[in-house]
Amino acid sequence: MAEKYRHLYVIIEHEDGELLPVSLEMIGEARRLLDGFNSKYSSNEKVVAVILGHNIKDISKQLIEYGADAVIYADDPELKDIRNTIYTKVIGQIAQDTKSLGEIESEYASEIKRPRYMFFAADSVGRHLSSTVLVELESGLASDINQLVIEDIEMSHQQKTGGKKETYEKTLKMYRPDFSGFLWTTILCLDNRNPAFKRDYHPQSCSIIPGVFEPLKPDSLREGKIIEFTPTIDEQDLKVKVLSRQIIKSVVDFDTPRTIVSFGRGIKDDPEQNIKLVENLAKELNAEIGVTLPISKKPYTVSQALDSKYMIPDRVIGTSGHKTSAMLYVAAGVSGAMQHVWGMKDSGFVVAINPDEDAPIKNECDVFIKGRMEDVIPLLIEEIKKQIQIVEA
Amino acid sequence: MEKYDVAIIGGGSAGLAALKQLSNLGKQAILLEAGSKIGSKNLSGGILYSKKPKKGKVTNVEQVYENFLDDAPLERKITKYILHSTSKDKVYSMDLTAAHDYQANFGYSVLMNKLNSWFAKQAEESAEKLGGGIIPGVHVKSLSWNEQTGTIILQTDELDEFEVKAVIAADGVNSEVAEMVGARKKFTSEQLYQGVKVIVKLPEEIIDERFGISPDEGAAHLFAGDVTLNHIGGGFLYTNRDTLSVGAVYHFDSLLRNPIEPYTLIDTLLKNPMVSEFIKDKVPVKPDIDKDLPQEEKLRIRYGVAKLIKTWYEIREANFSPSGRERLIKSGKYKDAEDIQSTLTSVQETMSEKFGVTFGTDYLEDEYGAKLVPDGKRCRMKKPFFKNILFVGDAAGRGIFVGPRIEGLNIGIDDGVLAANAVARALDKNDFSNSLGEFYSKSVEQNPYTIDMKQIDKDYLKIFLDAAKDVPRDIIGSRYGTVLKMMSSSTFRGIAVKFANIIGYEKLLPMIESEETYVKVPTLLAEKLGKSISSSYSPTILSIADRIANLNYNDDSLAHIKVLNSSSEFMKKMVILCPAKCYSEEGGKVIIQHEGCVDCGTCSEETEWKHPRGEKGIHYQYG
Amino acid sequence: MGDLNIAVIIKLEPDFSEGNVSYNPDGTLNRAETKNTLGPHSGIAAHAAFFGKVMYDAKVSIVTMGPPIADLALKQAQQISDAEELHLYSDRLFAGADTLGTAEVLRVGIEKIQQKMDIVFSGHRASDGETGQTGPQTAWKLGFTFLGNVISYSVDLETRTIRAKRLISLQGSPNVIEEVEAPLPVFISIDPTYKSSYNTISQRLAFQKYKKEAIQRANTFKDYLKVFNAKELGVDETLVGLPGSPTIVYKVERVPKSTATRRAEVIDGTDPEQIRKVVAKMKEALEAMVIK
Repeated sequence: MAEKYRHLYVIIEHEDGELLPVSLEMIGEARRLLDGFNSKYSSNEKVVAVILGHNIKDISKQLIEYGADAVIYADDPELKDIRNTIYTKVIGQIAQDTKSLGEIESEYASEIKRPRYMFFAADSVGRHLSSTVLVELESGLASDINQLVIEDIEMSHQQKTGGKKETYEKTLKMYRPDFSGFLWTTILCLDNRNPAFKRDYHPQSCSIIPGVFEPLKPDSLREGKIIEFTPTIDEQDLKVKVLSRQIIKSVVDFDTPRTIVSFGRGIKDDPEQNIKLVENLAKELNAEIGVTLPISKKPYTVSQALDSKYMIPDRVIGTSGHKTSAMLYVAAGVSGAMQHVWGMKDSGFVVAINPDEDAPIKNECDVFIKGRMEDVIPLLIEEIKKQIQIVEA
Repeated sequence: MEKYDVAIIGGGSAGLAALKQLSNLGKQAILLEAGSKIGSKNLSGGILYSKKPKKGKVTNVEQVYENFLDDAPLERKITKYILHSTSKDKVYSMDLTAAHDYQANFGYSVLMNKLNSWFAKQAEESAEKLGGGIIPGVHVKSLSWNEQTGTIILQTDELDEFEVKAVIAADGVNSEVAEMVGARKKFTSEQLYQGVKVIVKLPEEIIDERFGISPDEGAAHLFAGDVTLNHIGGGFLYTNRDTLSVGAVYHFDSLLRNPIEPYTLIDTLLKNPMVSEFIKDKVPVKPDIDKDLPQEEKLRIRYGVAKLIKTWYEIREANFSPSGRERLIKSGKYKDAEDIQSTLTSVQETMSEKFGVTFGTDYLEDEYGAKLVPDGKRCRMKKPFFKNILFVGDAAGRGIFVGPRIEGLNIGIDDGVLAANAVARALDKNDFSNSLGEFYSKSVEQNPYTIDMKQIDKDYLKIFLDAAKDVPRDIIGSRYGTVLKMMSSSTFRGIAVKFANIIGYEKLLPMIESEETYVKVPTLLAEKLGKSISSSYSPTILSIADRIANLNYNDDSLAHIKVLNSSSEFMKKMVILCPAKCYSEEGGKVIIQHEGCVDCGTCSEETEWKHPRGEKGIHYQYG
Repeated sequence: MGDLNIAVIIKLEPDFSEGNVSYNPDGTLNRAETKNTLGPHSGIAAHAAFFGKVMYDAKVSIVTMGPPIADLALKQAQQISDAEELHLYSDRLFAGADTLGTAEVLRVGIEKIQQKMDIVFSGHRASDGETGQTGPQTAWKLGFTFLGNVISYSVDLETRTIRAKRLISLQGSPNVIEEVEAPLPVFISIDPTYKSSYNTISQRLAFQKYKKEAIQRANTFKDYLKVFNAKELGVDETLVGLPGSPTIVYKVERVPKSTATRRAEVIDGTDPEQIRKVVAKMKEALEAMVIK
């Protein structure tokens, strides 16, 4: 049988000559998955890192150390800025480049049409880049993934299989949390085996949430191929220009404060009053205030001042927002959805205030104060006034 | 830079009238209002008059807006005007309806937010056709002149600067424009009144019955005597359609001499037995929930009661209002009036039987507000212009306070028309030199309203004295005795008034507007001649904290007021006199918390006082 | 009529605001009991289109793929953007589409608008699906330059170019504002923090004029509405709906309770004595770090 789809391509992100942590995390997960895959299917497919930019040959070597079998790099002054159209087309070219495939693995090179799997980072760049690349490669994409498993799947689907039972080998199960954080959706990218619209869909692709997977320890003795790719860039596409870049400080700083107080939908009985309670508590602790993702969607009506100060994406702690490793973290009226927990689990001492003992946050905290925030926070404030004098650092 | 013909600063009744008049004359104008919506920052007592002076002419609101009497959201036509003198539980009442009707076509009670919004809609339609319009959410922060052309360049917090040929400043008693250009000094306490008011909710037909008026009628009640707590001024209560405007207005310098919290002054009025009886209504009393019940049960009861009470209020308000009943019947939910009434009764029964709700007597207060009012007799700008900026209404210090005669809105509207006429003339002649200001100034000077601010009107005086004819002469102090004797005789009256006018308001005013007049004499009248009124209940008065918490604000992190001298006597008095309790004293220094500010300007004399930026600050619902 | 043609792709989504949203006891969304409304990010995209209307007198069209009730979203978007053309692409054949299948329908639909588009806007993501893919994928199918996370923009009608500011956030780096310039046509995915600003009197007056017009138009929105089924749209049936979707939702399951990473001490929040102990622990935690 023709080997049309082989290898796992990881689209690397870097900034100012440094690989972004998510790039190494993706390589790490790719390595683990493929080692399992190669063992299970007695195969020899490769983790191929793809990196575009200008003057990037040196950091390409690091990718091998962190687990890639091969690196395909395109180095060109016109690739210095990330322009979606150019990057999409070049990645598309690389994904179908027989010559590079030949250098990775001479056998099969001429048969291979597409990579089997493809990874992107789920950030400002990767989310959009993955979307356009997958249209270019005419295949499927699942976004914001935090778990991956490769398996043979037996199923019958009215559409995909025309109702018949089929086995899809080597399928990538892509898990993503839904907006509430309580449900996990498994997405599959599957060929149409329904005779009415027979079609192959490869690469099976996903964008991966930064900070979820662990990178491997770098091994300077690892060997791998570093392959240069000469991109073809359309003159028309060069008319898109980056005029300037300006670094801005986030309005909310979650890194400096030693304490963070956050609130979630538990404010709902009296949103205005409860937020003010949280404000008072934060004031006593000299803490910054964070919110859960649902709060940033403005689910309750409060005064304009509180709305624009807190119910904003910039305040979110979690996968869609900030990560913190504060020394003291107080979560008031927070249930403990997965995305939020990811944002605060590195904190030192965690106190949760929640009337519901079954709330998942209970597994992520050191002290679980059972009660409504309206009742608990005033008591806490009184006690804090007595015991703790916060001296500004 | 964008160029326009005219900018009107301030979207109150005066500014809007200027815009409408300019549009009527085919002239383009832009009106800038700092509030997020027209009407959101306006407050009035208030009654809007239309007058027909014996001598001279004024432009009335129904002449500026052709469809005013048919379409404008007016509350009630005031047909009864009564002055009550109070002393504890005794009240002596004098019917002053003749004074209210004096040279008047009508006087309607109004709520400013609704009314100004309506004015804006009319004015905007016309203005837009000429390439102008109303722009809310913009606060003028400074202005300058182009040396060569004499045009005015306006800078705002929100927009790029732009240029106009003339400005009509209608930005109220605390006019920043007046201060910025040095057209006049800030008004001093002797020249101002501080007014505080609350809106009381009362169903329409209960108002009809209680005040003895038909749906086409309205009542205005004024109060002097001990309710003033020895301040110069008085209280008022006006019937609106289904609310009451209840407030108090006092000489600001009287308040400075003897500081009492504005909310205390209004509470004193509310607690007066006659007023208590006026404002009372049936109210549901929430039951105590058994503490030992499980949490879910307690919540169920709490929500159930709250929902039923809300429904009860809604049905009841409609039940006692012809338009409310019509609306409910049209919606298809109710067959007829009886159906509504029986639903109301059954909701009441459910409340008491199922949840143990009882019904008591109390009053329902809604919106609290405060503002400063200029006393035209003392502070009207003699020449209300500065270069090519014309000042109108309160910004020019023009309000009429003569005894029980209180007029402001109609004067602002008339000023707006005069200013518009002057500017239109200037546009036609392309002459924006001082001749613009002089022309306007002259038209204002000859205006009947201005004349009333300068001289005592003997006919008005006669009406007032006729109303007081039953008052025994010996009651009133000796000072008044001679004067009254003279005034009662028509022969002497003419001489007396001429004489008074020669002496001038300035010398006479301290005698007329004195504790004697507003406090001592009325109190004495009530004590000796008054009827006893007992109130069946004691009104539950909201705390100032609750009153402020009930108001709508759009907070600005930037404070719009800066304290200049934090340990001055005046600022210490502000701790008491700020109607919103924004000032407190800590360690001998007065500090401000600006978030509760209602922009009244009470503290402006010794602070760096500005209006909040565009869209920020207080947002009145009734006004 | 100006010289700029703008389209907005929007979505009807569950209304998450209090009073309208309904949650199951296990915390998951109860879709059947939840009202639907114009998705918030779609709304922001509509505001961005309205900016084009006010500043450049653009012609605005709104398109959406959805069930018949999605016309509500079109009406709401028209109220915001003063749109003149509303498209609803509705057909059983479109059901079950993933973003690729959806992008195909939208692409065909947009190309059906008589004028050639200069700018197409989409929201950052849907509040339920949250993939953020449909925008860029529609852009690629249209062949338009894609600009994501745009927070403000201005158009030069003479040179037919657009300048846009983008907010880029990458893990572990501070946020960056990037200003780009591109020739029209472009596809813009609007950042949630996008703000229109109208800085002159004439812009404010135009804003008000068109806002009033928008409300009037939306009152008779059906006059502006065109509904297309698959045949009328002329789509390739193998590229839309389930047949045209590479991905499927295989399973939805509750996230397994994570093995507790910490062992929590449960205390009674109404007991002042226990609160005192907690605060003492909090104090310890803060001091421990200081010593370090």
